[in-house]
Amino acid sequence: MSLARTDSFKSAQDLPEPVREALAATLLSLADNKRILGMRYGEWILGAPTLESGIACSAMAQDEWGHARILYATLKDFGFEPGVLEHDRPAGEYLSSELLDSAVEDWPDLLALNLLFDAALSVQVEALTSSSYEPIHFKTRKLLEEERFHFEHGRGWATRLSETVAGREALDAAFRRAMGPILRWFGRSEAGFGQLLGSSGVATGDPMILRQAWLDRVVPVLSEAGLEELAAEFEANADLDWSDWNPDRRRVGTGGPDADTLARIRGDKNRSMLMD
Amino acid sequence: MGHLSGERLYEIFARQKREDRLEHIGTVSAPNPELARVYAWKTYDEASWFEMVVAPRDAFRAVNRDEVPFTLHPAETV
Repeated sequence: MSLARTDSFKSAQDLPEPVREALAATLLSLADNKRILGMRYGEWILGAPTLESGIACSAMAQDEWGHARILYATLKDFGFEPGVLEHDRPAGEYLSSELLDSAVEDWPDLLALNLLFDAALSVQVEALTSSSYEPIHFKTRKLLEEERFHFEHGRGWATRLSETVAGREALDAAFRRAMGPILRWFGRSEAGFGQLLGSSGVATGDPMILRQAWLDRVVPVLSEAGLEELAAEFEANADLDWSDWNPDRRRVGTGGPDADTLARIRGDKNRSMLMD
Repeated sequence: MGHLSGERLYEIFARQKREDRLEHIGTVSAPNPELARVYAWKTYDEASWFEMVVAPRDAFRAVNRDEVPFTLHPAETV
């Protein structure tokens, strides 16, 4: 890619095609993940361990849905119809992580999404804050400001649960389940859209750099919570299994959000009453 | 309020404008100061606050009475 890093773009239509496609896929991935993550937070408004954490889940759900809405709207500049993106795609077209395919059953698994996966999304958003694609700048600022509290929520709860052996073991198990999908989510370094974005100035950092930025953020929290062994495994990320990896959807396999999730994020049941 | 072990009450103070006085706006229960900050910010988000601070209730010292205001006015707790 021969773009100079000083080039700036006011419209997606000015971006060279491969870069435009790669950026659109990144924004759609963020939007889809945030839409479903918001739903997962929302599922814990009732049933969180304390009233306060239920309220925090409600607020985080609202934040994520707001972010998703902004990101879907941004994709209009790339030739997408936001209404179609939000309401008319099959599961197989969602660019969401396998971690979000179905509801999480336990609080530690929600914390894995909250502390680890939400932070991964924020690292990806941060990589766009000085993007040569200018329209994204001001949108990322408010979004990242809200995300600071999401991370603090995850961190505060990791500290809390790690005070007991049972809590620490439950955290360890949940974080371990999330480790592979999140480490892979940043993509492979040698090829793909992450490389393209990094080398074109549309995003800062290729997948390896973003993965490291994420590790720098979460590993100290794992250590704080007494999960040193797991922290070391995260950092090593030596033998990531890339079999069945779909680089376009940043996930393994051909699956997607389950039927219940899909119906609810699209609003199927109740939208049908509004259709001609 | 059924308290979980290890939880403390935190008092929240805030002002909407720099020139305003800090006002006591509410209370949250949290296991650590980090979560108290998050809960305070996310629970009392009815205004666009210029400044918000939290402090554990048990950090307050009565000056002229035996009890602190928070125990004299329990209705202020949430």
